[in-house]
Amino acid sequence: MGSLGNYVIRRILFAIPVIIAVSVITFLITNAAGNPLQIVKLGTKSMTASQLASLEAYFHLNQPIYIRYFLWLNDFIHGNLGVSLYSGSVSARIVPWIGTTLELQIPALFLALLIGVPIGIYSARHQYSKGDYAITSAAIFGISMPTFWIGIMLIIVFSYYLHWLPAFGAISAYPPYWWGSTFTDAIAHAILPLSVLTFVSIATITRLTRVNMLEVLRQDYILAARASGLSDRTVIYKHALKNAITPVLTIVGLSFGTLLAGAPALETTFSWPGLGFAFVNAATSLDLPTVLGITMIITLMVLAANIITDLAYAFLDPRVRIT
Amino acid sequence: MAWRRFRKNKSALIGAAIVGFFVFISVYGVFFAPYPPRSFYCLFNGCANLPPFTNWAHPLGTETSGIDVFSEILHGALGDLYVGVAATAISVAIGLLIGALAGYKGGPAGALLLGTTQIFFVLPVLVIILLFARIGQLLVAQGLGLTLIVVILGIFGWPTIAFVTRGEILRIKELEFVQAARSLGASNTRILFRHILLNVLSPLIVLSSLLVAGNILTEVVISFLGFGDPNTSTWGLLIEEGFSYVRTSWWVALFPGLAVVFAVLGFNLLGDGLADALNPRIRE
Repeated sequence: MGSLGNYVIRRILFAIPVIIAVSVITFLITNAAGNPLQIVKLGTKSMTASQLASLEAYFHLNQPIYIRYFLWLNDFIHGNLGVSLYSGSVSARIVPWIGTTLELQIPALFLALLIGVPIGIYSARHQYSKGDYAITSAAIFGISMPTFWIGIMLIIVFSYYLHWLPAFGAISAYPPYWWGSTFTDAIAHAILPLSVLTFVSIATITRLTRVNMLEVLRQDYILAARASGLSDRTVIYKHALKNAITPVLTIVGLSFGTLLAGAPALETTFSWPGLGFAFVNAATSLDLPTVLGITMIITLMVLAANIITDLAYAFLDPRVRIT
Repeated sequence: MAWRRFRKNKSALIGAAIVGFFVFISVYGVFFAPYPPRSFYCLFNGCANLPPFTNWAHPLGTETSGIDVFSEILHGALGDLYVGVAATAISVAIGLLIGALAGYKGGPAGALLLGTTQIFFVLPVLVIILLFARIGQLLVAQGLGLTLIVVILGIFGWPTIAFVTRGEILRIKELEFVQAARSLGASNTRILFRHILLNVLSPLIVLSSLLVAGNILTEVVISFLGFGDPNTSTWGLLIEEGFSYVRTSWWVALFPGLAVVFAVLGFNLLGDGLADALNPRIRE
């Protein structure tokens, strides 16, 4: 597959200017006051003069900004994401954060595809039926709700009112553990945020699948397939779905970025210690090096997801590789 | 003709009604609201922390800090509508301009547009918006308040509009009636304005409605996380205040959220309805 290999290389090469542009934008905005320590002083913490001096030396604040940028970039490429103003190395803590966020995002995406695609297909096949109207109404409600607010409502009902599930955190810090062991404890903590995320994703995926399926079902080749006597099920699952699914996959891959970006509010609601929560805490306390590090990591993850989606699309649809 | 289709679509009409109601509430709500915005009246008058539906002077309850929920929701409607519509207006203004230039002339505008949309596709936009909002809060916001959020959302919203505008213009440019006009000697500007822009308007109207919905949701997230303006009433701020007391005063988080769902639903239904009315292919 020579052309696929070429496509991969082209995509990755194209990603590099994007990463650089994002890093420049983020670096500039976090250094916007000219001096990150100035911003900290606007904030809360007070430091001794020698602490300030050593921080100044560490962040090279006596250098002009473009030199600081390249010093930072050099560090970043070597895996040093910087040092938080309050709590140590960012690189040391970023991997657990990533893991905790992905612990929610990946199962949610998977479940949403598993549930949402069949529902979307059903809705498209039975357009204008009562079931279709019910599904489309529920879906449009789903995309109109703020994700984190759904989380708050679920916390009120299932945690404070019914006491069935825990409200905060990813695990209990000390016994008693929910439902017996630390493993079931982790599961119990994950159920509510996972449900919220899955529900919202299902709403989007159902709408997308339905629209694309409707579009595909009107095509001539579907009519031809039906006319040549193929059963409805074969027509739908062998011919229509393949063509309807590619735009859905693209949107899903791209929306991985949106999902990841929606993490801040949802994770804050549940105090779920992932990337989003860390970002919000760092931004609130003006811990700008951490903010910079996390933003870059999230950008890289989104880029990776986009490239993988592009590759999957190119794999499924050979016409794409030529462009 | 599109209007007739629109009128027949029940959910589109519901959407339009909701949007109209929401606009009405935002503009005139200040006359219905029993208390001024951010007023801690109840703290001094012994009616703080009331549950909803118990006291008809405070139908949706009050916060621990004395703020009346119903009153604040009405005030917040204006804040959210302002952010939603103004940010969309900015995005459309910039996006239409750049998209039109890129589509019609190509060249540097086209390159700028394609480059920027590629970058925006990949950016975790919400994270960057939060970052700008937070830094802006510190550096700029004394006095700007919600306008800062409007500007930030406007700046991050234009690539989608520009991309669609450019696509539509590229498509329409090649249609026969444009070539006919050109062969009759019509100047470029005349062609652009009379023929092309009118046709570009339909997808743009749909996008605008959906963009308002999205901007309201984003604003709610920004305010909820505390990166918005703490002095102006918005629904996100209310939900955040409710969240801190969610164990005891669940109503403070519930009702503003319902208001958000209602408003966003209205704009989404309107957008979907307009899309159906203006594009007959899907609804044949």
